[in-house]
Amino acid sequence: MRRYALPLIACLILAGLVLVGILGSRFTVYITMRVMILAIFALGYNLLLGRTGLLSFGHAAFFAGGSYGAALFFIHVNRHPLLCIAAGIALAIVLSVIIGFFCVRHTEIYFAMLTLAFGMMVFSLIWNMREITGGDDGLVGIARAPISLWLVSISLAKPSHYYFLVMAFFMVSLALVYVIRQSPLGLILSGIRENDKRIEFAGISLKNYRLAAFVISGGFAGLAGALATFLNSNTTPFSAHWTHSAEPVLVSLIGGLQTFMGPVVGSLIYVVLREVIERFTQNWMLWFGIILLIIIMGFRGGVVGSMVSLLGLKNRPDERSEGVSA
Amino acid sequence: METKGMTRREFVKAGLLTAAAASLGAGVFKPTGLWAATPTIKGPVKLGYQAIMSGALAGYGEFHKMGVQMAVDEINADKGIAGVKVEVDFRDSTLKADEAIKNARYFVDSWGADFLGGIDSSGQALALAPVMAELDRILMVTHAATEKLTEQQVFKNGIKQVFRISTPTYQDGNAAAFIAKDIPAKTWATISPKYEYGYTCWEMFKQTLGKLKKDVSFTGESWAPFGTTDFRPHINTIMDAAPDGLYSTEWAGELITLVKQANQAGLFQKIKHVMFPVGAAMDVLEGLGQELPENIWISGRYFFLYPADNRNRAWVAAFRSRWNHFPAYVSETGYSTLFALKKAIEAAGSKDTAKVVQALEGMEIDTPAGRRVFRKEDHQAMYDVPWGLTKTDAAFPFKVMGKQVMVRAKECFNRPPFEGAGTKPPF
Repeated sequence: MRRYALPLIACLILAGLVLVGILGSRFTVYITMRVMILAIFALGYNLLLGRTGLLSFGHAAFFAGGSYGAALFFIHVNRHPLLCIAAGIALAIVLSVIIGFFCVRHTEIYFAMLTLAFGMMVFSLIWNMREITGGDDGLVGIARAPISLWLVSISLAKPSHYYFLVMAFFMVSLALVYVIRQSPLGLILSGIRENDKRIEFAGISLKNYRLAAFVISGGFAGLAGALATFLNSNTTPFSAHWTHSAEPVLVSLIGGLQTFMGPVVGSLIYVVLREVIERFTQNWMLWFGIILLIIIMGFRGGVVGSMVSLLGLKNRPDERSEGVSA
Repeated sequence: METKGMTRREFVKAGLLTAAAASLGAGVFKPTGLWAATPTIKGPVKLGYQAIMSGALAGYGEFHKMGVQMAVDEINADKGIAGVKVEVDFRDSTLKADEAIKNARYFVDSWGADFLGGIDSSGQALALAPVMAELDRILMVTHAATEKLTEQQVFKNGIKQVFRISTPTYQDGNAAAFIAKDIPAKTWATISPKYEYGYTCWEMFKQTLGKLKKDVSFTGESWAPFGTTDFRPHINTIMDAAPDGLYSTEWAGELITLVKQANQAGLFQKIKHVMFPVGAAMDVLEGLGQELPENIWISGRYFFLYPADNRNRAWVAAFRSRWNHFPAYVSETGYSTLFALKKAIEAAGSKDTAKVVQALEGMEIDTPAGRRVFRKEDHQAMYDVPWGLTKTDAAFPFKVMGKQVMVRAKECFNRPPFEGAGTKPPF
């Protein structure tokens, strides 16, 4: 029975998303896109936090890298959305290789503070390089050109069309992150989290594997940033701010650090909850904070983690079942 | 005959009667004015309003709300807009562009807003413009000042859905230069915010003043990042440069801090001519009280003592009795937004976006801040706000404008097509 759980869940998600795309109102479609973009950001991020055990406070820099990479490519080179997104991811990866190179030598608080410092450095760069980045106004007018592949041209101008592109990237990201978690690389990463000494004794380069996790999560952040740029047709320097780096951390905590689906469920709760609260009060920050606190403290192992243990799905402690059941 | 029900005579009589009633009705019962428009407008007119309501600038959001709420209550207590009620929903815009976009989409797609208003940050306004085109709803900007919004997004890119009721950076840069040309200062320096607003205003000030007065030079710049609490290094830089005049577009809490620290450093004794383009904001005047020195040039997007006419006086009095505050400029722009929309909707006889856009273009309206005209080309409201020298007035617990100098909007606002000769003052 468990063997079918994963494909079943994947099909259910896909069917649900397609239904939202076809039947949902314009606002529902928009909010779902925001959930998916945050989920891509957090899925990648959780490879670093949940899997490798490294708490980064600078991943917004890579989100912004993807965002500005795509926008600058759009303005100066080519307007093809897929090429722009690729350019965004490339810039995010380059940034994360450089920043990661300096950060992964350290762990825990030193790692967290270094990433925070680098992240805010990127923020200041974006803020100050006005000629290139538009300063605090950001880059505006990043329109969604049609995707043309050979003879076919698909218009993305309508949000309901763009939705399916975001959905496709979201499903691919889900699959990729799943594969990475199950791969030898993923297993070594959780080994590093559990006991880095042992991994080192096994003759494995801690630095290289940490860097790999860092760069992969940076790449996903870049993808999320590029998608967000086309969603809102602009870039903003605040996307590189540390407060934005805190989002994937929160989302992973809400959903469950040790689970595969945790960041996705966390993103859903984070975005929808805030949206609901804002309908009742302008003092939303207070209530949002209180409810998040209750969720994080009340659900051990996050919402997904506690559901899994509540339903008794997780009776085999090995890696495989964890991935499957979650 | 009985079965026919109606004789020919009766038929003719009835016909004549109907015709008479019709002709009479056309003359007597013809719907006029307000009521002519009513049949086309269904349901309430809904306005989605967003402003900054969290963080250090949350006070601005409160002042927005006071103005808007007052207008809503006045309109609904009267006849509404074209006979229907007006409803407003408020949201915290934060200062982030993507949150502003989300709010706008919520207002239009989920709450069913017919019109949008508010917006404090220029980045948000610029990011929202294409979204307004997609959602096809009018956005009345009440605070964000970037001239790029109206010059580029409205005029150049043709986004007709965006209007601005508040003065843009022209008031801060160009108008300031007209004042500065008559000040006996030959060297100018600035302490300004290290973001687009600060850079743009200083650039405009330099350009325009350079044209108005040949022998001025600009000798120092010190840029303070958003959230600066210690202005002493900036004050020292400027005091070392020792200019004749200081120009600063610092605003809100940061301007209060700057003035307090400049007092301690003795800056105002050393530099005699100081200009604060947004110094006439109520939060600054009240926040500084008597600590604001005399004879400082200040301006804003509206000042509650101007115009000194009955309408404005009555409005300020009503505002004070309701909220126990003097109206901030965002209160006035928020208040006037409702009345501008009311007038345009009633003129258009519809709340349909295209029709209201058409009605707003070139529309004149009398507001507490005086007469506003929405310029057709770029949708910028043209109205006059004075510059003035601070002075103590026993009637107020804070400094007010004493001597006032008016630089008319039509003299200091850039003119379409915004590029080439004759588009930037002096004309």
